[in-house]
Amino acid sequence: MDAFGDYVWPRATSELILLPVTGLECVGDRLLAGEGPDLLVYNLDFGGHLRMVKRVQNLLGHYLIHGFRVQPEPKGDLDSEAMIAVFGSKGLRVVKISWGQSHLRELWRSGLWNMSDWIWDARWLEGNVALALGHNSVVLYDPVIGCMLQDVPCTDRCTLSSACLIGDTWKELTIVAGAVSNELLVWYPATALPDNKPVAPDRRVSGHVGVIFSMSYLESKGLLATASEDRSVRIWKVGDLRVPGGRVQNIGHCFGHSARVWQVKLLENYLISAGEDCVCLVWSHEGEILQAFRGHQGRGIRAIAAHERQTWVITGGDDSGIRLWHLVGRGYPGLGVSSLSFKSPSRPGALKAVTLAGSWRVLAVTDVGGLYLYDLEVKCWEQLLEDNRFQSYCLLEAAPGPEGFGLCALANGEGLVKVVPINTPTAAVDQNLFQGKVHSLSWALRGYEELLLLASGPGGVVACLEISAAPTGKAIFVKERCRYLLPPSKQRWHTCSAFLPPGDFLVCGDRRGSVLLFPARPCLFKKPGVGPKAITAAEAPQAGSSSGGSESVVTGLGPVSSLHSLHGKQGVTSVTCHGGYVYSTGRDGSYYQLFVHGGRLQPVLRQKACRGMNWIAGLRMAPDGSMVVLGFHANEFVVWSPRSHEKLHIVNCGGGHRSWAFSDTEAAMAFAYLKDGDVMLYRALGGCIRPNVILREGLHGREITCVKRVGTVTLGPEFEVPNLEHPDSLEPGSEGPGLIDIVITGSEDTTVCVLALPTTTGAAHALTAVCNHISSVRALAVWGVGTPGGPQDSHPGLTAQVVSAGGRAEMHCFSLMITPDASTPSRLACHIMHLSSHRLDEYWDRQRNRHRMIKVDPETRYMSLAICELDSDRPGLGPGPLVAAACSDGAVRLFLLQDSGRILHLLAETFHHKRCVLKVHSFTHEAPNQRRRLILCSAATDGSIAFWDLTTAMDRGSTTLEPPAHPGLPYQMGTPCLTVQAHSCGVNSLHTLPTPEGHHLVASGSEDGSLHVFTLAVKMPELEEADGEAELVPQLCVLDEYSVPCAHAAHVTGIKILSPKLMVSASIDQRLTFWRLGNGEPTFMNSTVYHVPDVADMDCWPVNPEFGHRCALAGQGLEVYNWYD
Amino acid sequence: MGRTSKDKRDVYYRLAKEKGWRARSAFKLLQLDEEFQLFKGVKRAVDLCAAPGSWSQVLSQKVGGQSSGQVVAVDLQAMAPLPGVIQIQGDITQLSTAKEIIQHFEGCPADLVVCDGAPDVTGLHDVDEYMQAQLLLAALNIATHVLKPGGCFVAKIFRGRDVTLLYSQLRIFFSSVLCAKPKSSRNSSIEAFAVCQGYDPPEGFIPDLTRPLMNHSYETDFNQLHGPARVIVPFVTCGDLSAYDSDRTYSLDLDNGSEYKYTPPTQPPIAPPYQEACRLKKNGQLAKEFLPQECSIDRVDKLSQPLAIHTLLAPKVEDNEINCSS
Ligand SMILES: C[S@@+](CC[C@H](N)C(=O)[O-])C[C@H]1O[C@@H](n2cnc3c(N)ncnc32)[C@H](O)[C@@H]1O
Repeated sequence: MDAFGDYVWPRATSELILLPVTGLECVGDRLLAGEGPDLLVYNLDFGGHLRMVKRVQNLLGHYLIHGFRVQPEPKGDLDSEAMIAVFGSKGLRVVKISWGQSHLRELWRSGLWNMSDWIWDARWLEGNVALALGHNSVVLYDPVIGCMLQDVPCTDRCTLSSACLIGDTWKELTIVAGAVSNELLVWYPATALPDNKPVAPDRRVSGHVGVIFSMSYLESKGLLATASEDRSVRIWKVGDLRVPGGRVQNIGHCFGHSARVWQVKLLENYLISAGEDCVCLVWSHEGEILQAFRGHQGRGIRAIAAHERQTWVITGGDDSGIRLWHLVGRGYPGLGVSSLSFKSPSRPGALKAVTLAGSWRVLAVTDVGGLYLYDLEVKCWEQLLEDNRFQSYCLLEAAPGPEGFGLCALANGEGLVKVVPINTPTAAVDQNLFQGKVHSLSWALRGYEELLLLASGPGGVVACLEISAAPTGKAIFVKERCRYLLPPSKQRWHTCSAFLPPGDFLVCGDRRGSVLLFPARPCLFKKPGVGPKAITAAEAPQAGSSSGGSESVVTGLGPVSSLHSLHGKQGVTSVTCHGGYVYSTGRDGSYYQLFVHGGRLQPVLRQKACRGMNWIAGLRMAPDGSMVVLGFHANEFVVWSPRSHEKLHIVNCGGGHRSWAFSDTEAAMAFAYLKDGDVMLYRALGGCIRPNVILREGLHGREITCVKRVGTVTLGPEFEVPNLEHPDSLEPGSEGPGLIDIVITGSEDTTVCVLALPTTTGAAHALTAVCNHISSVRALAVWGVGTPGGPQDSHPGLTAQVVSAGGRAEMHCFSLMITPDASTPSRLACHIMHLSSHRLDEYWDRQRNRHRMIKVDPETRYMSLAICELDSDRPGLGPGPLVAAACSDGAVRLFLLQDSGRILHLLAETFHHKRCVLKVHSFTHEAPNQRRRLILCSAATDGSIAFWDLTTAMDRGSTTLEPPAHPGLPYQMGTPCLTVQAHSCGVNSLHTLPTPEGHHLVASGSEDGSLHVFTLAVKMPELEEADGEAELVPQLCVLDEYSVPCAHAAHVTGIKILSPKLMVSASIDQRLTFWRLGNGEPTFMNSTVYHVPDVADMDCWPVNPEFGHRCALAGQGLEVYNWYD
Repeated sequence: MGRTSKDKRDVYYRLAKEKGWRARSAFKLLQLDEEFQLFKGVKRAVDLCAAPGSWSQVLSQKVGGQSSGQVVAVDLQAMAPLPGVIQIQGDITQLSTAKEIIQHFEGCPADLVVCDGAPDVTGLHDVDEYMQAQLLLAALNIATHVLKPGGCFVAKIFRGRDVTLLYSQLRIFFSSVLCAKPKSSRNSSIEAFAVCQGYDPPEGFIPDLTRPLMNHSYETDFNQLHGPARVIVPFVTCGDLSAYDSDRTYSLDLDNGSEYKYTPPTQPPIAPPYQEACRLKKNGQLAKEFLPQECSIDRVDKLSQPLAIHTLLAPKVEDNEINCSS
């Protein structure tokens, strides 16, 4: 190939960019969003739905968009056409767009104009654009032909952190400049003399004690707002800023953010601010906070826009998410807390408990045994009954269902349970169940067919009552169906119950934190030896002594399956069955996804609610399929959405220890609680979900540290994926069979995300996030990739096992199953199951206790992972793969993954490197007539790479690993087969590829920007008949070795040998560079500037011959490139 | 996580406290000197972006040899006084500050100009890289006024997308430009130091404070952006082999046999910008949003919005979100 061809091929082109949203602007009913150098245009309909109309690509080259300015139309007609100035960094471009009738077309774009300095603000002045530049100067620019008309500096030359231009003509142009010294400088560029001598500031305003990041001027009211590093927003009365010498008065100093404030925007009636704390606050002009929008994740909100007519605020975050919020001033209509004025001379006694039957009926009992009903339609209290047997102790629970099934139940301290039909309380039925106190009551409803009431009595006995109604509706029947027995514990009662569809089992939670499974109809378990065993009082030592006699009396059925203490000592608070899973919540601040397989309960995933919500009280499934979490955060009751990370409702109820009830129907959500001797009711019309908050889902809120492609799912034509991103560019036939790459990413935000990247649409869908890590995730490894059903009975889709590891020396193992699902936007369903976890500090604590070691946890981080598998083509052989971890404490550790990842066990370690180990990588070596060999390479901050032979590590009697000094401690890995000093400092990327000659190419990239490539030969010593027993150690040697010292200008964090002739590298200098291999030194072919800063990891894979290769770059964002082979 | 956790994760942070340095950065300058003998023969030095002052501490000890040298330290932030160091509080990119610094060297130029300047990073990478480059260029502009021919200039540099443009700019003024990374600077950090030796401005160059030095742009040379001809200066790792590894987590009992004792920070920050906000937060006095307050049910039904009394002073709540170091 000639030199020129070489220079062009292969050429990487950007397919997809996920970056912080740094520019947002509403134009009519359209939303402009900047993402990297691209402009995204969305249509907003009145419901607040957002539909992407078009991506206008690459407006700013390698700059990122920071803002848009739409040229004002004198005729006010922006509905069919608009001229938009797009700026960011030092770049400016003008683009003309026609967008009538929802069809969007780019009519014209100017050149990309490079300024000499950073652009802080831009403003249209009669067809030209004024720009406020980085060192406090203003230029007037003709954006059509690209020439500078004016260039006026300020006498006070300094760097700015923000600027705001005001006025519509050059003559009246005013700049408010935010200097790094925290001052605001107001000056008038047009007062410059013809020679453009610097202009002196007209006014200096100080007040903030940190730099000013954003400003907004409201001409109609003469107000200026500023947002600062000092975490405050200031409101200034400035009058008409275009008039020199005016008075500036600070009329508001608003502290509400708990971190730096990035953005501020003045509206006619509100002030909007947003910042690093991910909160968007709505203030009155007087400085009161009216609303707070929380939901973005990570490092903050970077852009805000407002649609004043629709009263929407739109925010864009570092998480690349875009959200829409409703401006309603002081709270949502139809939402509020009211006291139901129970106290009255006609209603004696004090309130003891409250419950809700649907969202319209409140029930309450008093300490004189009175049961009262409050109907919100009638708006008055009515006594249903009075029974003095319930005066000293009384439990009250209404039946579930939208109208509470019209039933409630009472229970007292003497084992009495009363079931009351609310409409005909006289038909109430009493049941004397126990000799002692009823500890708890709960209901379980199956469709509208089966209703059970469970009551816990002394000794862990749970009576299960079957409730049915007469066809007339006038009478009810209560029949005891059976009794269950809970596992022994101090506080031995159940707390919640639910039917497991189809209805053969009941799932219960107990006060001890266990989740239990009981047969719903034990009569069906007649056959001996099948199903649960009846436990007798004699067998259950702590069972109630109620029956008095010592003979074997059957007290109840034990659980068929249980997860002991799943939620810890504080207890389980709810169980819910939905979509094939069981969800349990607890006062440990977590909720679990469980499932029942073969009559056994199995945990799938543990999830945490928002910070501070340590008491989760329950879950609700919203009609749109999303879930909300109910719980208590200090004194507040909170409804929280895991999907939008938003606190949907906050009620200051005083905490969860008092009696409370929650109900959610389509019409309204209600929360009732007792406070100051009265019943309080919070109600929100329209249910607990707020519509259309998320315009676009965010990805990770913080830096992405690792990316790994898992595999590809092929969808048949029946799953045709609509191309939203490029509706125009779609050529007929290009829909094809949908190929979707599945990629996982790990982030400093402590989550692992599963992404679907279709090859046809250039979109990314976040399928699921795994939130088990307590610290940042830094490394991922995948093994056992297959299809659902396995090789024998293969179904479309993808299965794999994943290990993730990171800060606090924590490692998790989970399995992934992705199947086609036409009902989701991504056309995929993703199921995750958590398999196991490991924490080094816990392990050390155990060993310290056992061996009196004095090893103190040095807060180790895992930096990199590699699956080491000898026979990946023959899974199931041997004890399971190993996973090697590079550790910051200087160790390389080997873990054994047994039982498909259900057991994670620390096997061996070595402190050979004595430095922070940055990378591990493994490969196998094959040679004719020889056993396949498994080689691990590890590389550290001193630039050395060590090679280890792990072939026989798992063999019985192998000497690869030296036994530990104490049993239970890890084995020692001995000395490496070879070490190579590849670099003078840290190795940030490492890859190998077998060569046709039977050797291996090893490539590494370093912190100093250098590349190192060498050929490694693996030789086995001749087998000597005499000592066939002794282990053979391969001899590794370096054949030819090359260094490229200044390959990149920063850390080389990604390297991949694509073929023995071609290599690609990626660096923090934002270059993706191709290198030709094979004739001596690697030679530069070409490089592409990409947009993601701080790239920490790269993965490349071939898709298919037509599509070529794909490459994912992960850093402060994610970008996907592709190139043809 | 306890207070020792940062000591475990960052050995240089811990050593700095134990050795009385105001910041761990002191080791960076010491390791740079180990490699380049920066302080040899230096009598007058400028420390730009000096707060909290660990580089000034190092300079005041090492500069001047027997006779006392002169160190001028400049920072935006207030800095606790140091014996023998002249302090200027101001923005080094501001004309007036630059003039004030230059005054001190009229007639007697400096031998060494160092700048460890870093903006308070915003997390938007392009902004941060730009702001950092402006500090370097402002420092370079000051250096062109105060540095004697053959003098040395050391400045922090972020190795991002456009770093090669800065290298080519520095090469105009110095006979040797290297990129150095002390071992005490982490692998995971994009910071490095441009070590520029042999100040030798182009013939006919007239320093001009009033016009800021602008970074070059790629416009003139496509090869600088995509091609192989970028100016990537040689890279040097500094610090001897036995130096601690700043990326490694060490257990509290280091191998040198010394027993660990917790040391509080040498010099806490003086009046950081977030001080007032933290104080308010601590006292639960940050403004809180409107929460539906109590009112009777009839009012709820009659009014489209419930009435509320807004409280500006919220009750004390647990503070677990932001770590106020004040
Ligand atoms: C990394 S610290 C320097 C630490 C210092 N070398 C030491 O050893 O203690 C960076 C300093 O740059 C300062 N800085 C940032 N922008 C500045 C500016 N425009 N003018 C002056 N100082 C600035 C900050 O206030 C901060 O103190």
